Amino acid sequence: MATDVIDRRAAPRPDQGPHLPQAGRGGRRFATMALRSIGLYALTMLAVVVVVFALPRAMPGDPLLALEDPDNSLYLSDPAVREQVRAYYGLDKSLVEQFRSYVGNLARGEFGFSIARKAPVGHLIKLHLPWTLLLMGVSLAVASVLSFMAGVAATWRRGRAGDRWLMIGMTFFRAIPEYALAAVLLIVFAVVFPVFPLAGARTPFNQYGGLERWADIGRHLVLPASALTLSLLGTKFLLVRNTMISTLGQDYMVLARAKGLPDRLLKYRHAGRNALLPFLTVVGIQAGFAVGGSVFVESVFAYPGMGTLILRAVEARDYPVLEATFLVLAFVVLAVNLLLELVYARVDPRVGAE
Amino acid sequence: MTATLRPPEAPVAPVDLAPAKRRRTRFPAIGWIGLAIVAVFAVLALAAPWLSPYRVIELSGDPIDGPSAQHLLGTNGVGQDVLSQLLSGARVSMFVALVAGGGTLLIGASLGMVAGWAGGTTDALLMRVVDLVLVIPKVPLLIVIATYAGPGLTVLCVIIALTSWPPTARVVRSQVLSLRRRAHVKAAVGFGGNSAQILRRHILPEVGLILIAGLVGAAGRAITFEAGLAFLGLGDPTRASWGAILRDAIDFGGLFYTDAWKWWLVPPIVAVSLLLLGVTFLGVGLEQRINPRLARHTSRLGRRPARP
Repeated sequence: MATDVIDRRAAPRPDQGPHLPQAGRGGRRFATMALRSIGLYALTMLAVVVVVFALPRAMPGDPLLALEDPDNSLYLSDPAVREQVRAYYGLDKSLVEQFRSYVGNLARGEFGFSIARKAPVGHLIKLHLPWTLLLMGVSLAVASVLSFMAGVAATWRRGRAGDRWLMIGMTFFRAIPEYALAAVLLIVFAVVFPVFPLAGARTPFNQYGGLERWADIGRHLVLPASALTLSLLGTKFLLVRNTMISTLGQDYMVLARAKGLPDRLLKYRHAGRNALLPFLTVVGIQAGFAVGGSVFVESVFAYPGMGTLILRAVEARDYPVLEATFLVLAFVVLAVNLLLELVYARVDPRVGAE
Repeated sequence: MTATLRPPEAPVAPVDLAPAKRRRTRFPAIGWIGLAIVAVFAVLALAAPWLSPYRVIELSGDPIDGPSAQHLLGTNGVGQDVLSQLLSGARVSMFVALVAGGGTLLIGASLGMVAGWAGGTTDALLMRVVDLVLVIPKVPLLIVIATYAGPGLTVLCVIIALTSWPPTARVVRSQVLSLRRRAHVKAAVGFGGNSAQILRRHILPEVGLILIAGLVGAAGRAITFEAGLAFLGLGDPTRASWGAILRDAIDFGGLFYTDAWKWWLVPPIVAVSLLLLGVTFLGVGLEQRINPRLARHTSRLGRRPARP
């Protein structure tokens, strides 16, 4: 999976020295750059909204066609009443006006009403989104730390057995899709060795309070988060390893070694720090993959996040819910990317200097 | 949105007069292993009609019956033969790999070549679109489009191709950019060859290996996405995709209270994982063949003392 995420931005730049933060420079350049990023991301979000708005309208047919069909139970014989219904849904207005009111509704957090679930879509999202954010956040954080350490470790042992085994393992986890990984974890740790619960995010009907409640949530999180973490590891690992290897031969590394600095400092302070910047970009790109991955993982473990919401909406062809989940997840991913881009610009003095 | 973070383009290099160096890199073992795995699946998919003991939808036995002489991999919840379903799933996956993967490559390579060759505004515009599509989360996008487009394997392939081309376009573009500076291409331009001709005669052959690697990568992602969408219930209901088998098994009430998961849930997981491992290995092999620098870091030369 996810073989395409090594972005051009993240390409190792071998000619760069150790990164020295230079505070207090380029404040105005940063502001210009930040404004431009925000503008571009806003434009992307607009594109997402346009896609969602256009999709149902590009489909053949008319949502109110049933009203004109005498054989349908929704048939309305009076053309005037039909027009009233049409006007109620705003379908008699121009596309531009429809779009304007659509965006207005979205801005107020009104995503429509789910007939299948008999609830406002916004309410359903509010119930499910926190679980997905928890699952995604934990997995991304754990995967980042683990892949960084594994990448550094592999670089230090490059060409030897440890490195090769790490490479093979990471390639393995990169190839296998999340749903397969999740199903394997489910079989091994919930069925064959029933260590962790089979499904859900909490024990139903429990009376836990305080600490016990959190322990229960944590226990239910272990398997889904492990599946997602494993599927996110590989790409980042390869990136850290490639960047680190290209820094090893640099003069400043040789100098640092000649100074007699301990290995730990060399690894993390000198070489690791340079791998950190491209790493940051990949974390942003992976937010998108984590969203997709959590949809699959959740639907294996019946974890009550957006994935389960999507799964049920697909079964019922519940279009408002599906559109809203896409809009919200796209918004989350874009927001994470924007945030990381701003952090990147703040941390990397070269960005402001361009 | 990535404009500000991009490393500056390499300065225009002086015209490279030396003939292109022949790279003497073997196709690495991992690539051969991958190729073998993919080939086995391809043969199974092609021969599925003759290998399948039953028709895919045929209710040929009792529900959740364990493996026996009649049903080598047992039966599923309604009494269909799991082995026959798996073989049908192999056909679905191979079809998706070829059609969706090929479509992705076609769109990506064409746009990449146009962007790299035309440069200027066209290039900038196309690369903005690439950035835009790349940052939108793919799985929710596919889900929304697939629900509206309705079921059908070919439709699914088209959707996957339409949303998957950006990485391929980017890789091909950068290759074309570097080829543009080569002597023989400059000569062709100097002789007044038209763009279409130069692209076909001089650029296309040189990006051949990259295109094959691109196809392999695109095929792998297409297989992953198709099985994933089928797993979510968005596949073609008339065919037994591996994702759909997985979904049926997991949704079967009390699956884990019987032993049925051993022959019903495990085989599709193994099949999809094995095929994707094969595709990935093949991809890694091709990458090492194209870019020997990658291989050097991983194998023989890496045995130098590890310390800098």
